[in-house]
Amino acid sequence: MNVALREGLDTTQPEAGSGIELLLWILIWSELAVFGALLGAFLLLGMLDPAALAAVRGELDLPLAGIATAILVSSGFFAARAASGWQPLGNLIAAALGGLIFCGLKIVAFTHELPALAAMEARLAELYMLIVGFHFAHVLFVAGLLLLVAWRPTPRHIAGVATIWHLIDLVWLLILPVVYLG
Amino acid sequence: MRFSPALPLPAILICLFVATGLSLLAASVLPAGFRGAAIAALSLTKAILVVLGFMQLQRENVVLAGALIGYAALICLLAGARIALSGIS
Repeated sequence: MNVALREGLDTTQPEAGSGIELLLWILIWSELAVFGALLGAFLLLGMLDPAALAAVRGELDLPLAGIATAILVSSGFFAARAASGWQPLGNLIAAALGGLIFCGLKIVAFTHELPALAAMEARLAELYMLIVGFHFAHVLFVAGLLLLVAWRPTPRHIAGVATIWHLIDLVWLLILPVVYLG
Repeated sequence: MRFSPALPLPAILICLFVATGLSLLAASVLPAGFRGAAIAALSLTKAILVVLGFMQLQRENVVLAGALIGYAALICLLAGARIALSGIS
Protein backbone atom coordinates (compact mmCIF):
# COMPACT_ATOMS: atom_id res chain seq x y z
CA MET A 1 0.00 0.00 0.00
CA ASN A 2 2.87 2.32 0.81
CA VAL A 3 4.45 1.61 -2.55
CA ALA A 4 1.21 2.46 -4.28
CA LEU A 5 0.95 5.66 -2.30
CA ARG A 6 4.54 6.61 -3.11
CA GLU A 7 3.91 6.00 -6.77
CA GLY A 8 0.77 8.08 -6.65
CA LEU A 9 2.58 10.88 -4.89
CA ASP A 10 5.56 10.80 -7.20
CA THR A 11 3.34 11.37 -10.20
CA THR A 12 0.96 13.90 -8.71
CA GLN A 13 3.05 15.90 -6.22
CA PRO A 14 3.02 19.55 -7.27
CA GLU A 15 6.19 21.40 -8.15
CA ALA A 16 7.91 23.05 -5.21
CA GLY A 17 7.22 26.52 -6.60
CA SER A 18 3.48 26.00 -7.12
CA GLY A 19 2.71 27.63 -3.79
CA ILE A 20 0.52 26.78 -0.80
CA GLU A 21 -2.89 28.36 -0.69
CA LEU A 22 -3.21 31.94 0.45
CA LEU A 23 -5.91 30.91 2.91
CA LEU A 24 -3.52 28.54 4.67
CA TRP A 25 -1.02 31.35 5.14
CA ILE A 26 -3.72 33.68 6.42
CA LEU A 27 -4.58 30.99 8.99
CA ILE A 28 -0.92 30.55 9.92
CA TRP A 29 -0.30 34.27 10.41
CA SER A 30 -3.54 34.61 12.39
CA GLU A 31 -2.33 31.87 14.73
CA LEU A 32 1.07 33.50 15.03
CA ALA A 33 -0.55 36.85 15.80
CA VAL A 34 -2.69 35.32 18.57
CA PHE A 35 0.21 33.42 20.14
CA GLY A 36 2.43 36.48 19.69
CA ALA A 37 -0.06 38.62 21.62
CA LEU A 38 -0.31 36.02 24.41
CA LEU A 39 3.46 35.62 24.65
CA GLY A 40 3.89 39.40 24.58
CA ALA A 41 1.43 39.71 27.46
CA PHE A 42 3.30 37.01 29.40
CA LEU A 43 6.61 38.82 28.85
CA LEU A 44 5.09 42.14 29.92
CA LEU A 45 3.43 40.74 33.03
CA GLY A 46 6.64 38.91 33.90
CA MET A 47 8.56 42.20 33.71
CA LEU A 48 5.98 43.99 35.86
CA ASP A 49 5.74 41.26 38.50
CA PRO A 50 9.02 39.30 38.76
CA ALA A 51 7.96 37.68 42.04
CA ALA A 52 4.85 36.15 40.46
CA LEU A 53 6.93 35.02 37.48
CA ALA A 54 9.42 33.29 39.79
CA ALA A 55 6.53 31.64 41.67
CA VAL A 56 4.96 30.39 38.43
CA ARG A 57 8.32 29.14 37.14
CA GLY A 58 8.89 27.30 40.40
CA GLU A 59 5.83 25.16 39.72
CA LEU A 60 6.67 24.30 36.09
CA ASP A 61 8.20 20.98 35.15
CA LEU A 62 11.19 22.00 33.00
CA PRO A 63 12.65 18.51 32.38
CA LEU A 64 9.25 17.27 31.18
CA ALA A 65 8.94 20.35 28.94
CA GLY A 66 12.36 19.48 27.48
CA ILE A 67 11.29 15.90 26.76
CA ALA A 68 8.01 17.15 25.25
CA THR A 69 10.03 19.49 23.01
CA ALA A 70 12.19 16.62 21.78
CA ILE A 71 9.04 14.58 21.03
CA LEU A 72 7.38 17.47 19.18
CA VAL A 73 10.39 18.27 16.98
CA SER A 74 10.71 14.52 16.24
CA SER A 75 7.11 14.49 15.07
CA GLY A 76 7.94 17.55 12.92
CA PHE A 77 10.74 15.47 11.41
CA PHE A 78 8.26 12.76 10.44
CA ALA A 79 5.84 15.34 9.00
CA ALA A 80 8.69 16.82 6.94
CA ARG A 81 9.54 13.34 5.65
CA ALA A 82 5.91 12.79 4.67
CA ALA A 83 5.79 16.14 2.89
CA SER A 84 8.97 15.22 1.02
CA GLY A 85 7.26 12.11 -0.35
CA TRP A 86 8.93 9.52 1.90
CA GLN A 87 6.39 6.86 2.96
CA PRO A 88 3.66 9.43 3.68
CA LEU A 89 1.30 7.03 5.42
CA GLY A 90 3.82 5.77 7.99
CA ASN A 91 5.38 9.17 8.54
CA LEU A 92 2.05 10.94 9.00
CA ILE A 93 1.00 8.34 11.58
CA ALA A 94 4.38 8.68 13.33
CA ALA A 95 3.97 12.48 13.38
CA ALA A 96 0.47 12.16 14.83
CA LEU A 97 1.70 9.70 17.48
CA GLY A 98 4.43 12.17 18.42
CA GLY A 99 1.75 14.81 18.89
CA LEU A 100 -0.35 12.49 21.03
CA ILE A 101 2.67 11.57 23.17
CA PHE A 102 3.36 15.30 23.57
CA CYS A 103 -0.23 15.74 24.78
CA GLY A 104 0.21 12.83 27.20
CA LEU A 105 3.36 14.40 28.64
CA LYS A 106 1.58 17.75 29.00
CA ILE A 107 -1.30 16.07 30.84
CA VAL A 108 1.23 14.51 33.24
CA ALA A 109 2.79 17.95 33.77
CA PHE A 110 -0.64 19.59 34.19
CA THR A 111 -1.63 17.13 36.94
CA HIS A 112 0.94 18.63 39.30
CA GLU A 113 1.33 22.12 37.80
CA LEU A 114 -2.27 23.22 37.56
CA PRO A 115 -3.40 22.67 41.18
CA ALA A 116 -0.46 24.75 42.42
CA LEU A 117 -0.96 27.44 39.77
CA ALA A 118 -4.71 27.64 40.39
CA ALA A 119 -4.04 28.22 44.08
CA MET A 120 -1.87 31.26 43.24
CA GLU A 121 -4.68 33.36 41.78
CA ALA A 122 -2.09 35.27 39.74
CA ARG A 123 -2.64 36.71 36.27
CA LEU A 124 0.59 35.10 35.07
CA ALA A 125 -0.59 31.67 36.18
CA GLU A 126 -3.85 32.18 34.27
CA LEU A 127 -1.92 33.34 31.22
CA TYR A 128 0.34 30.28 31.44
CA MET A 129 -2.69 28.00 31.46
CA LEU A 130 -4.20 29.89 28.52
CA ILE A 131 -1.03 29.79 26.39
CA VAL A 132 -0.08 26.19 27.08
CA GLY A 133 -3.69 24.98 27.04
CA PHE A 134 -4.35 26.73 23.71
CA HIS A 135 -1.22 25.17 22.24
CA PHE A 136 -2.22 21.77 23.68
CA ALA A 137 -5.61 22.06 21.93
CA HIS A 138 -3.83 22.85 18.65
CA VAL A 139 -1.54 19.82 18.97
CA LEU A 140 -4.46 17.53 19.73
CA PHE A 141 -6.59 18.87 16.87
CA VAL A 142 -3.85 18.80 14.24
CA ALA A 143 -2.69 15.33 15.36
CA GLY A 144 -6.25 14.25 14.50
CA LEU A 145 -5.93 16.02 11.15
CA LEU A 146 -2.65 14.19 10.49
CA LEU A 147 -4.41 10.87 11.06
CA LEU A 148 -7.28 11.98 8.83
CA VAL A 149 -4.89 12.90 6.03
CA ALA A 150 -2.98 9.63 6.58
CA TRP A 151 -6.24 7.80 5.96
CA ARG A 152 -6.59 9.29 2.47
CA PRO A 153 -3.36 11.10 1.63
CA THR A 154 -3.03 13.45 -1.30
CA PRO A 155 0.12 15.54 -1.90
CA ARG A 156 -1.82 18.77 -1.45
CA HIS A 157 -3.33 17.73 1.88
CA ILE A 158 -0.02 16.35 3.14
CA ALA A 159 1.74 19.63 2.30
CA GLY A 160 -0.99 21.64 4.03
CA VAL A 161 -1.19 19.60 7.22
CA ALA A 162 2.62 19.35 7.45
CA THR A 163 2.88 23.13 7.18
CA ILE A 164 0.37 23.59 10.01
CA TRP A 165 2.23 20.97 12.07
CA HIS A 166 5.51 22.86 11.60
CA LEU A 167 3.73 26.04 12.69
CA ILE A 168 2.75 24.26 15.92
CA ASP A 169 6.39 23.16 16.35
CA LEU A 170 7.50 26.74 15.79
CA VAL A 171 5.00 28.16 18.29
CA TRP A 172 6.14 25.68 20.96
CA LEU A 173 9.78 26.61 20.31
CA LEU A 174 8.77 30.24 21.02
CA ILE A 175 6.70 29.32 24.08
CA LEU A 176 9.69 27.52 25.59
CA PRO A 177 12.02 30.53 26.10
CA VAL A 178 9.22 32.92 27.04
CA VAL A 179 7.45 30.67 29.56
CA TYR A 180 9.80 27.92 30.73
CA LEU A 181 13.41 29.07 30.34
CA GLY A 182 15.20 31.83 32.20
CA MET B 1 8.42 15.08 -8.01
CA ARG B 2 10.38 14.72 -4.80
CA PHE B 3 13.03 17.31 -4.02
CA SER B 4 16.01 16.70 -1.81
CA PRO B 5 16.53 19.16 1.03
CA ALA B 6 19.77 21.13 1.29
CA LEU B 7 20.40 19.72 4.79
CA PRO B 8 19.33 16.13 5.44
CA LEU B 9 16.32 15.91 7.73
CA PRO B 10 18.06 13.65 10.32
CA ALA B 11 20.86 16.24 10.64
CA ILE B 12 18.27 18.97 11.25
CA LEU B 13 16.58 16.82 13.91
CA ILE B 14 19.90 16.18 15.67
CA CYS B 15 20.68 19.92 15.60
CA LEU B 16 17.23 20.60 17.12
CA PHE B 17 17.90 18.06 19.90
CA VAL B 18 21.30 19.58 20.63
CA ALA B 19 19.91 23.14 20.67
CA THR B 20 17.09 22.05 22.99
CA GLY B 21 19.53 20.36 25.36
CA LEU B 22 21.80 23.40 25.35
CA SER B 23 18.81 25.69 26.06
CA LEU B 24 17.86 23.62 29.11
CA LEU B 25 21.49 23.60 30.25
CA ALA B 26 21.79 27.36 29.77
CA ALA B 27 18.59 27.89 31.77
CA SER B 28 20.06 25.91 34.66
CA VAL B 29 23.67 27.04 34.88
CA LEU B 30 24.31 30.43 33.27
CA PRO B 31 24.02 33.82 35.00
CA ALA B 32 21.09 36.01 33.88
CA GLY B 33 22.89 38.12 31.25
CA PHE B 34 24.55 35.26 29.43
CA ARG B 35 21.45 33.10 29.97
CA GLY B 36 19.24 35.59 28.14
CA ALA B 37 21.61 35.88 25.19
CA ALA B 38 22.21 32.13 24.99
CA ILE B 39 18.53 31.20 25.22
CA ALA B 40 17.56 33.84 22.62
CA ALA B 41 20.25 32.63 20.20
CA LEU B 42 19.45 28.93 20.69
CA SER B 43 15.69 29.48 20.39
CA LEU B 44 16.15 31.46 17.20
CA THR B 45 18.42 28.74 15.84
CA LYS B 46 15.69 26.16 16.49
CA ALA B 47 13.07 28.35 14.81
CA ILE B 48 15.33 28.83 11.76
CA LEU B 49 15.94 25.07 11.56
CA VAL B 50 12.20 24.38 11.58
CA VAL B 51 11.39 27.04 8.96
CA LEU B 52 14.31 26.38 6.61
CA GLY B 53 14.90 22.71 7.32
CA PHE B 54 11.49 21.18 7.93
CA MET B 55 9.17 23.59 6.12
CA GLN B 56 11.66 24.17 3.30
CA LEU B 57 9.82 27.41 2.85
CA GLN B 58 12.80 29.19 1.31
CA ARG B 59 12.35 27.00 -1.77
CA GLU B 60 8.79 28.15 -2.18
CA ASN B 61 8.75 31.72 -0.95
CA VAL B 62 11.83 33.49 0.37
CA VAL B 63 9.79 36.45 1.64
CA LEU B 64 7.49 34.24 3.74
CA ALA B 65 10.48 32.34 5.13
CA GLY B 66 12.15 35.64 6.01
CA ALA B 67 8.97 36.97 7.61
CA LEU B 68 8.56 33.86 9.78
CA ILE B 69 12.21 34.00 10.87
CA GLY B 70 11.91 37.73 11.56
CA TYR B 71 8.82 37.11 13.69
CA ALA B 72 10.61 34.35 15.63
CA ALA B 73 13.66 36.61 16.02
CA LEU B 74 11.53 39.36 17.55
CA ILE B 75 9.98 37.05 20.17
CA CYS B 76 13.35 35.39 20.94
CA LEU B 77 14.96 38.82 21.32
CA LEU B 78 12.24 39.99 23.72
CA ALA B 79 12.44 36.74 25.72
CA GLY B 80 16.24 37.00 25.89
CA ALA B 81 16.06 40.64 27.00
CA ARG B 82 13.55 39.81 29.73
CA ILE B 83 15.70 36.96 31.01
CA ALA B 84 18.83 39.13 30.93
CA LEU B 85 17.06 41.99 32.71
CA SER B 86 15.87 39.63 35.45
CA GLY B 87 19.43 39.71 36.81
CA ILE B 88 19.34 43.49 37.21
CA SER B 89 17.58 44.60 40.35
